[in-house]
Amino acid sequence: MLETFKHTVDYLSSPTISFSILTVVTPILFPPTDWFDKINRKLGFYLLWTKTGCAVALSVITFFFAVGYMDKNFSVILMKGDNFPIVLMVYSIFFFTWLGMHKAYINDERLEKGLKPSEYNDPDDKVLVWPDLVYIEFIALILFTVFLVVWSILVAAPLEEPANPAATPNPSKAPWYFLGLQEMLVYYDPWIAGIVLPLFCIIGLMAIPYMDINKKGDGYYSFKERRVGIFIFMYGWIVLWLFLIVLGTFFRGPNWNFYGPFEYWDAHKVVALNNVNLSEYFWVKLLGTGLPENIILREIIGFITVGIYLFILPIILAKTWLKDMLEAYGPVRFVSLMLFGLVMLSLPLKMYFRWIFNLKYFIAIPEYFFNI
Amino acid sequence: MSEEKMIPNAAVGSSPENAFKGPETDRRGFLSWLSVGWLAYLGVTGGFFTIIVRFLFPNVLFEPPQTFKIGYPEDFSKNSVDIKYKKSYNAWIVRDEESIFALSTVCTHLGCTPNWLPVESKFKCPCHGSGFRMTGIHFEGPAPRPLERFKISLANDGQILVDKTKSYKWEKGEWENPESFLKV
Amino acid sequence: MAEKKNKKSILQTLGESQVWKSIIRSGVPHTRRQRMHAILGSVFLHLHPARLPKHAVKVGYTWCMGGLSFFLFVNLTITGILLMFYYRPTVEYAYTDIIDLTEQVPLGIMRELHRWAAHAMVLVVWLHMLRVFMTGSYKPPREFNWGVGVLLMTMTMFLSFTGYLLPWDQLAIWAVTVGSNMARAHPFIGHEGPGASLLAIGDINLVHIGSDVRFALIGGRFVGEATLLRFYVIHCIAVPFIMMIFMAVHFWRIRKDGGISGPL
Repeated sequence: MLETFKHTVDYLSSPTISFSILTVVTPILFPPTDWFDKINRKLGFYLLWTKTGCAVALSVITFFFAVGYMDKNFSVILMKGDNFPIVLMVYSIFFFTWLGMHKAYINDERLEKGLKPSEYNDPDDKVLVWPDLVYIEFIALILFTVFLVVWSILVAAPLEEPANPAATPNPSKAPWYFLGLQEMLVYYDPWIAGIVLPLFCIIGLMAIPYMDINKKGDGYYSFKERRVGIFIFMYGWIVLWLFLIVLGTFFRGPNWNFYGPFEYWDAHKVVALNNVNLSEYFWVKLLGTGLPENIILREIIGFITVGIYLFILPIILAKTWLKDMLEAYGPVRFVSLMLFGLVMLSLPLKMYFRWIFNLKYFIAIPEYFFNI
Repeated sequence: MSEEKMIPNAAVGSSPENAFKGPETDRRGFLSWLSVGWLAYLGVTGGFFTIIVRFLFPNVLFEPPQTFKIGYPEDFSKNSVDIKYKKSYNAWIVRDEESIFALSTVCTHLGCTPNWLPVESKFKCPCHGSGFRMTGIHFEGPAPRPLERFKISLANDGQILVDKTKSYKWEKGEWENPESFLKV
Repeated sequence: MAEKKNKKSILQTLGESQVWKSIIRSGVPHTRRQRMHAILGSVFLHLHPARLPKHAVKVGYTWCMGGLSFFLFVNLTITGILLMFYYRPTVEYAYTDIIDLTEQVPLGIMRELHRWAAHAMVLVVWLHMLRVFMTGSYKPPREFNWGVGVLLMTMTMFLSFTGYLLPWDQLAIWAVTVGSNMARAHPFIGHEGPGASLLAIGDINLVHIGSDVRFALIGGRFVGEATLLRFYVIHCIAVPFIMMIFMAVHFWRIRKDGGISGPL
């Protein structure tokens, strides 16, 4: 019974499957359109944001980790000092996402009935910071200190062997909050995964208030009024950032191969990984000729693909499907939204191209370190 | 023309008798002096920041020597990878059918140190799973290009001399360079 | 009789003494007016307004995450200063000093406190961002402060990253090797970034392993002695210094942008 559970989890956690599941589930959990909302209602996904839903989900997470701590393979990973924050992260991210959504649902109902959000109070009826807030802060501070001290006593900070520049441990992992980046490095060249994507991530986050023209939902929890925005944020944050961290921590073993959480880290696991560039697909496999000498000619298909994706696609969208959006947002907002959105979307797209077609690079110019 | 109007009414000494009589500077002259001033300011500030950036790059580096002797060609058997110098000098000495060459142990993906797996006859990087054949050519994983080779030559005493200051990249066709391998 | 009438508790006497009143300007706050004065008259507490709308003091609304982030920053500063007494950032001593910190120093959990508080801070800052996003608190007029917050989050992670190297163990050196090697992929200014090989005069490359942005970060061609010292300085002085400026702006802007967000 338990074995079947473990095998199922091992199977489901393979990146292709787990990532696809999350990609499908996120728009249903945070429905951006009426259509997704209907599916949400039909399948009962909204029940997750009720108190029972919270209890059930927390017990499922707890069960998973309990089995994990008893499993001889998974416990090795879980017992690593630096991985404890991940367990904490899974719990706290779920709980606080739940809390936010739970409150949002309550407010959505109130707003539908024409009531003010539950945070609303009479503006003249204010409370004094001394003592009301100062005491809350004081208590939060003490509780958190106690938590930190207990954590520090129970879990020793990890310290491995002294640094040895000649022996790379297998696997070598970045600090946990960068494992999302490290996972991206599997699919993209360092200059994209390490520089361009993080930069777009930071600038994109900073640009949110300037791109979001929705005036509603300011100062209270709400979902329905801002569903598209919340969906995009949640997909980027949970699937493209937090899930990749979990993937990198729990499911990546020696040689950065995939291992199910309950699977033994066999360093000799052989995984065929023969990646092919788009130019090779085009010139060698399709046309049956060799690669042209001229670099630009060789990568012409890649340049066209990337060019269409980043520059032509927004124009086409602006003329057809997103016509209303362009009007509402104006050209500057629309262009930046498209740019940040398409760059964000390029990560899952590239992941799927890698998994399905073994595609290595769209544009491969290793001579100038220009690979996309 | 309207020079008088430029003097504010409330300015000190604005009465016609004792108006400020400095060297004549018309508007255009003032503007050009202003731009020279700003340019000078920008130049000095820019120079200052350039010096700060330059400060980050010391003139002398205290790192291990980059040139070393590794013994005689006969010490290396055919079709084998010598991992003796991996730890001390970050180089593998590979001998194939006709030549000896020194491969850099730095993975071309993100600089981890791959491990030589004799059974599978490949270098496998533990960080992101890049794989390289014995020749240094990449064939799996995210590495964008083959491992680099170091300059290798015979010293006067017959020993092999490896010089890490010069490296040769396959993708630029530099492995054809006779300094990048040693005929045996 | 008269004596009994005037008998005050020790606290009261203390609260009315000259010394107490000189330090805490309002004395012991009893009335509404005095309580407001207690906030306004203290350089630390007047970060808060004297009065707040009711929802703003509810943990359910703020999750206390912003306050906890600041608390963790202070906490990390204090434990960090204490750790600096015993730690020498050299390849020779760093690792053994870390071992001594647990084994030879009383209260051997100082390093744990620092490390786990650092991990917790990353998490708490993320949750703070989630809360601000879910309540839509980034909307005008708070756009700028959200941007400052994103930069503060980035700095938090960079602080955590630079601190990761200091124990000088296998975990540290390889995590930082992987991380800092991303720097060499900067377009034009990293020696393995796109376009770097175009910046050349004849045969001489201007951007090479000894002159690119990665070198400026780690102070050498590979992670070594100079890197340890550079990361130590960045971790202990440079980033916290910049962060404190940003935090001052962040807190000040909360008040200037109309205090905590709330429904109209």
